Amino acid sequence: MLRNKTVGAGLAIVASTVLIAGCDGWMDQSSGEVDVSAMSAEEYADYLVLETDSYRFDQEAQEGGSARERMVQDGIQAACSIKGDPDAETAGEVIAMARESYEAPPGGPRLGNWRRGAELARSGYGYRIGHRNDDHGQREPGGNCYACHQMDPNEELYGTLGPSLAGYGTTRGNDSSVVNYVHQVVSNPHQYFPCTKMPRFGHNNFLTEEQIAHVMAYLLDPESPVNQ
Amino acid sequence: MFKKALLALPVAMAVGATAQAGEWQDPNDVLQQFLQENPDSAYLHQSEMNIMMMPDNPALWLVDEGEDLFYAQRGPNNVSLEGCDFGKGPGELDGAYVELPRYFEDTGKVMDFEMRLVHCMKELQGFTSDDAAVARRHGSGSDIMKLTTFIAHQSSGMAWNPPLDHPQEQAMRDAGEKLFYRRGGAMDFNCASCHGDVGKQIRASVLPHVGAGPEWSKAVSWPAHRAGHDNVRSQNHRIRGCVWQMRHAGIKADTPVNTALISYWNDQARGEPAILPDLKR
Repeated sequence: MLRNKTVGAGLAIVASTVLIAGCDGWMDQSSGEVDVSAMSAEEYADYLVLETDSYRFDQEAQEGGSARERMVQDGIQAACSIKGDPDAETAGEVIAMARESYEAPPGGPRLGNWRRGAELARSGYGYRIGHRNDDHGQREPGGNCYACHQMDPNEELYGTLGPSLAGYGTTRGNDSSVVNYVHQVVSNPHQYFPCTKMPRFGHNNFLTEEQIAHVMAYLLDPESPVNQ
Repeated sequence: MFKKALLALPVAMAVGATAQAGEWQDPNDVLQQFLQENPDSAYLHQSEMNIMMMPDNPALWLVDEGEDLFYAQRGPNNVSLEGCDFGKGPGELDGAYVELPRYFEDTGKVMDFEMRLVHCMKELQGFTSDDAAVARRHGSGSDIMKLTTFIAHQSSGMAWNPPLDHPQEQAMRDAGEKLFYRRGGAMDFNCASCHGDVGKQIRASVLPHVGAGPEWSKAVSWPAHRAGHDNVRSQNHRIRGCVWQMRHAGIKADTPVNTALISYWNDQARGEPAILPDLKR
């Protein structure tokens, strides 16, 4: 953890100072008055997220635990809550955190079935909560790769937030060093791209190791349409 | 208020692009001005269909319905909303929407538009949280969206100008900026994951960039008829949808995280005319 977030109700409760003394709505649950002026913008933001009943924290998250846990930042999330690219020091710390927490699957990364990977790459289902909660018992979550990346050059609908991955395996092959690298990137891309927008699909358990193997096959299998 | 829209149309056309920030302009005139002045904006030009439909924006129907609701004597207290102060004085709606969120003395806190509207419906008209009039927040059939669209329309063409004079307004805006960049959730996203660059697409949708004046003004110009939903949507509905897609925790209505984000949104559109109501994909 780069910075352990410890902002809580206690941080800026000043009993004698009344700056916000709302009698309706979101101040109800707090017994004291909160001195906003004593907080930095970052502390106030964390206070708003965690202490003002702004979220349905009582909901269960699909990954287990409560919705609240989703909004408590870990080290990489905290370090990367910045405008633009990280400075060199932050980048180094993020890379170190990412490397430290990376786990290769038992037996090492492998390629699965590219057809299954193609489905996962197109699916934006999974992990949405608040309203119309995704039911993983009805449908498995997907990786939603096409939201940000071009992959199969014949697929017309693709996002451009990430780089094009068309022909990814054609230019790189799929020997073990490539497979290991791609697994590291899909599992926790901050190892190579500190503060990237890309989710940590493995580290966050968003995709299972089996699903990651399928997505990797879609990227690297010579038979995959990505490489045609 | 179609009457107003029709009357204002020739005026707005005559004045054209030189219109002052403070005067009312037809939403389609504002859009056309943005399109002409920003021929290279992929975001603004992404849907020919929506641009074509803009003069017949279905959201304009809600303006009329909302006007009737605003002046009707309603609720257990049987009063209209003319006593509601959106920041410019009771019943003063011209320019009120683009100068929110703001600090209100009577509640001692910074409130965004929807929070303030609900506050008035409860305090003045006597509705409770369980009444459909305030419980239903989304959809063109809801009272909230009708009222929102009517009231927002009175600020069309005026420049976004949320006040920052009160320390709590400034603090709320600054917290909103931090929230915009605050990573979290199952996918590690913040708002800037999608709105931090110009001209990027998520699947087929071109995304607005938070720093790009007219693009961002159009982006925060809710209420808007959302063609894909076939419903008029609010700023709060946009936040709820983004948070859902980001795999953060579900956000509740009338809460200060909404207020902070909207404070930052509207501040980032400062000086640009608002399109009220807008039409989006």
